[in-house]
Amino acid sequence: MKILCVLLPHFAWRCELRRHPALAGRPSIVTSTEGSQKLVTDFSPDLTGLLPDMPLQQALALHGEAGLLLADTPYYAAVFNEVLDALEQLSPLVEGADPGCIYLGADGLQLIYPDDNALAAAVRGVVKDFAPLMGIAANKFLASLAARYSPPDGCQVLSGNVDIFLTDLSCDILPVSLKSRGKLRDFGLNTLGQVAALPPGPFQSQFGPEGKRIWELSRGKDATPLYPRFMEETIEASAALPSVTVSLDAILVAVESLLGNIFHGHALKGRGIRSLTLWTRSWNAEHWEKNANFKEPAMEVKSAVTRLKRILEEYPQPGPVEQAGIKITGLGYPRGRQKSLFSDIRAQEHLAEDIKQLELKLGNPQVYKVKEVEPWSRIPERRYALTPTNR
Amino acid sequence: MVENTGKTLRADAYKPVNAPEALKVAEDAAGLPVAVRLKQRQAIASIEDKWRIDDEWWRAAPVSRLYYNVLLASWQRMVLYKDLVSGSWYEQEY
Repeated sequence: MKILCVLLPHFAWRCELRRHPALAGRPSIVTSTEGSQKLVTDFSPDLTGLLPDMPLQQALALHGEAGLLLADTPYYAAVFNEVLDALEQLSPLVEGADPGCIYLGADGLQLIYPDDNALAAAVRGVVKDFAPLMGIAANKFLASLAARYSPPDGCQVLSGNVDIFLTDLSCDILPVSLKSRGKLRDFGLNTLGQVAALPPGPFQSQFGPEGKRIWELSRGKDATPLYPRFMEETIEASAALPSVTVSLDAILVAVESLLGNIFHGHALKGRGIRSLTLWTRSWNAEHWEKNANFKEPAMEVKSAVTRLKRILEEYPQPGPVEQAGIKITGLGYPRGRQKSLFSDIRAQEHLAEDIKQLELKLGNPQVYKVKEVEPWSRIPERRYALTPTNR
Repeated sequence: MVENTGKTLRADAYKPVNAPEALKVAEDAAGLPVAVRLKQRQAIASIEDKWRIDDEWWRAAPVSRLYYNVLLASWQRMVLYKDLVSGSWYEQEY
């Protein structure tokens, strides 16, 4: 297996740079809110001493001159998806591991790209705006290390005996738990070479199940498979609220309207919603989003709204909302249902579902209920009307 | 599971209940019903009741009807009315 790893350092900041070219050459920090704390999400490459997820106060203590940008996660995700889409034109196996970290399956591409440099050049052409680091190796771990230590805008190929490359690397680069990293330090094991030199049995007995993985990684062995991107159909809709609001009802009306459009459009094709992401954007550009999964696909606006209402009530908005949106990521058909012993309880539900199916098949309301319109009217036909049962 | 045919559901598909049905009625010289044409002609044995409604006179199409509760020769009861605007006859439960 040959894997090409593409690292896009400072991905969030570079997304911002792409949107606001004026940021070039200006130190800036991308921040996000976690509970009541503001954290560093990313920063411009010229700022030294900063780490992702460190408190913003600490970052500002080091770089008080830096400008602040609020993280726009959906935008970064959209840009990342664009990059993955473009890379899929080069290789059918593309895994977006994390924002800014991509793995490509490079096997069998030699007819298109005669050597690794040609493939790297093609990839560089796609991601040139993001100052990529690239590495090619036999597995994901080695490919990521090769990329991490490759020259800027370059590509490092690891093949053959990789022990020399690994031996002096710090154990801190291992993708393992913090607990294991701390334990490695406690044992005075600071480099991969030191770990690799130990016999596997005693090492595993000290480090437990993760010990085997640490020992294998230190020898450049990684059996983690490539998880190519799963192509899923998504439906997105968003709306700007008429005015900036903190009212839950107003937000809910917007959400209901979006769902109504989706359900009455043709995008669902008779399917229900299995999972969706509800997001809002505050007037100060803060992003809020929550995922909702439905045990049974939501086949109508009402059932989806009930759930989303609860989410909106449980997770307060970070500020007055000016935009709300929905991203439906999971679609599915309703499952066959087992008959209940207490048939009366579910009869109404089944009836409604059957009627809906009938209407979808025949295209028009088929079952009506009698509704009082003007029961006092002297004109008999004005007293009652038949209305579709699902309205 | 039925695939969505893509047909649009009409938003306001309301249907009136007890809509009047056109009926052929023979009248006498005074304008009173004497026979109705159902599957076959049936004579009206007696007029049991009679009332008039005038409504919505402010609208372009006002309602003005003369209702009759009649007993047919076959002992069947029915309610029919004459639309005083168009002159047509209709059957309708009241």
